[in-house]
Amino acid sequence: MKGRTVIAFAIVAAVLALVPQFLNGYARSLLYITVLYVALAYAWNVISGYAGYLSFGQVTFFGLGAYTTAISVTRGNLPWWEGALLGGVISAALAVPLGYLMLRLRGAFFALGMLGLAQTLQVVANSWQLTGGGSGLFLPPGSNALPAYYWTLAIGLLTFAATLFIDRSAFGLRLQALREDEQVASTLGVQVTTTKVWAFVISAIVPGLLGGGYAWYLTYVEPVSAFATRFDLQAVAMTILGGIGTVWGPLIGGVLMSQVSEMLAAQYPQAYLMIFGGLVVVLLVFLPRGIAPAVSAALARHRARAAQGHR
Amino acid sequence: MSAPLLEIENVSRAFGGVRALDGVDLRVNQGEILCIIGPNGAGKTTLFNIISGVMRPSSGDVRFQGESIVRWSPQRIAAAGIARTYQIARPFARLCVRDNVAVAALVHERTLERARRAAQDVLESVGLATLADRPAGSLTLTQRKRLEVARALALRPKLLLLDEVMAGLTPTEIDTMAAFIEQLRERGIAAIGGVEHVMRVVMRISDRIAVLDFGKKIADGTPAEIVADSRVGEAYFGTSLDDVGAAPPTKGHS
Repeated sequence: MKGRTVIAFAIVAAVLALVPQFLNGYARSLLYITVLYVALAYAWNVISGYAGYLSFGQVTFFGLGAYTTAISVTRGNLPWWEGALLGGVISAALAVPLGYLMLRLRGAFFALGMLGLAQTLQVVANSWQLTGGGSGLFLPPGSNALPAYYWTLAIGLLTFAATLFIDRSAFGLRLQALREDEQVASTLGVQVTTTKVWAFVISAIVPGLLGGGYAWYLTYVEPVSAFATRFDLQAVAMTILGGIGTVWGPLIGGVLMSQVSEMLAAQYPQAYLMIFGGLVVVLLVFLPRGIAPAVSAALARHRARAAQGHR
Repeated sequence: MSAPLLEIENVSRAFGGVRALDGVDLRVNQGEILCIIGPNGAGKTTLFNIISGVMRPSSGDVRFQGESIVRWSPQRIAAAGIARTYQIARPFARLCVRDNVAVAALVHERTLERARRAAQDVLESVGLATLADRPAGSLTLTQRKRLEVARALALRPKLLLLDEVMAGLTPTEIDTMAAFIEQLRERGIAAIGGVEHVMRVVMRISDRIAVLDFGKKIADGTPAEIVADSRVGEAYFGTSLDDVGAAPPTKGHS
């Protein structure tokens, strides 16, 4: 079983690595965006799905990574991927104190606190000289898209592997316990604060690393797109649609959302958002916990029926 | 005589103007079963919240094995050997029954696999083993009460705080739970039970009984002494214990 998982993982990774060679520019950019969103969704799923702290501000770290990379390249003459790595390190370092501070808040307060944080950084980026103010920073253009894609793919695969590990680990069980009832978890010996700060750090490193790739991909960073709430909303919608707090949810929801919305946009450019929104609502009415849990429940029923048939 | 396992000294807790606990002193010895009786609102749950570290007292001290624990976090207190259950069972609803218990077992076991095995053993001992794979949210009230106890036991406690574990159970289930609590004595686990009703059982299983009334401890003694105490009957029932049919004491008289 374990070996099979590794082989499946390697095949998917190889296919995703090779497929851009056979795609045109438009399909490549769609692939990049899909992988980016799925990776962001996986990162969001750790703090919000497993730990139950809904965040609307993980884009803070995404923007931080994008700007760190842009500044490293334009002002520090570093290779872009070193800047992107630095973005991940800074995000992690910031997430520790920030986690201790923000994770005292629960529910809507935490969600809005994180949203406010992203907005604050956007304002800072807009008015600071180092970040180029409202006009942003330009990176040297060239053949940036493919390296940025491989960077994003690698981080996405790592995040997926991390999710697989978390889902089967003591750490993951503790996260789920505190999601279900934080006080009970603490009286059962769970180090609640440390555990959730760790989850927050993981959910910060990943967008921090991805932001650098995004800056390199666009060759351009400016406040509005780097700290766009849209990134969080996409991650939220994809994860909830696919199944929040599950291993497969972000992947299923992410692929479905980006492909279907793209198809609809091509077919009905005027009305696609309306149709798409309607589809999501209908799906969630019938599958309130998302697609992945519904599929695994159906599989379990099928297996149970098969087992009975054998008797 | 060795030092008591738990010493509660002059503990008070106020909520606004209301004194939920008012200068309560209490001690529990190793392996002793103490029942705290008192009507709803007498302060039993507040006391459990303070001992388990979920709440801090306004004043007073709590010592466990000689060390003051009032400033400790709940997880530190749990790891040190005080486990509690909740009056209204609070299972991790979306986790399976085994994982509910494994969370607590992780305090002693290094890997998740071993914690799950330890959890299975505990479930066996409380009669929930066959439900191990079910989501905890699907359990009945009785099963939830047992799960509360199983999770607490997985911490391998020296002291178990049982908040109304008998409330809502049928007479047969109450007897099963009572037998279970009496077993704790043999395993050297002390227990504090908070009980509003079921005096018959309390009289039978307790080494000692303390009575809380409006946040004050009004009596503390063997079951026989409590029954004989006229203040208790008046405060608790508005009448004497004999009249409400409390069983004659079987302990402390023999």
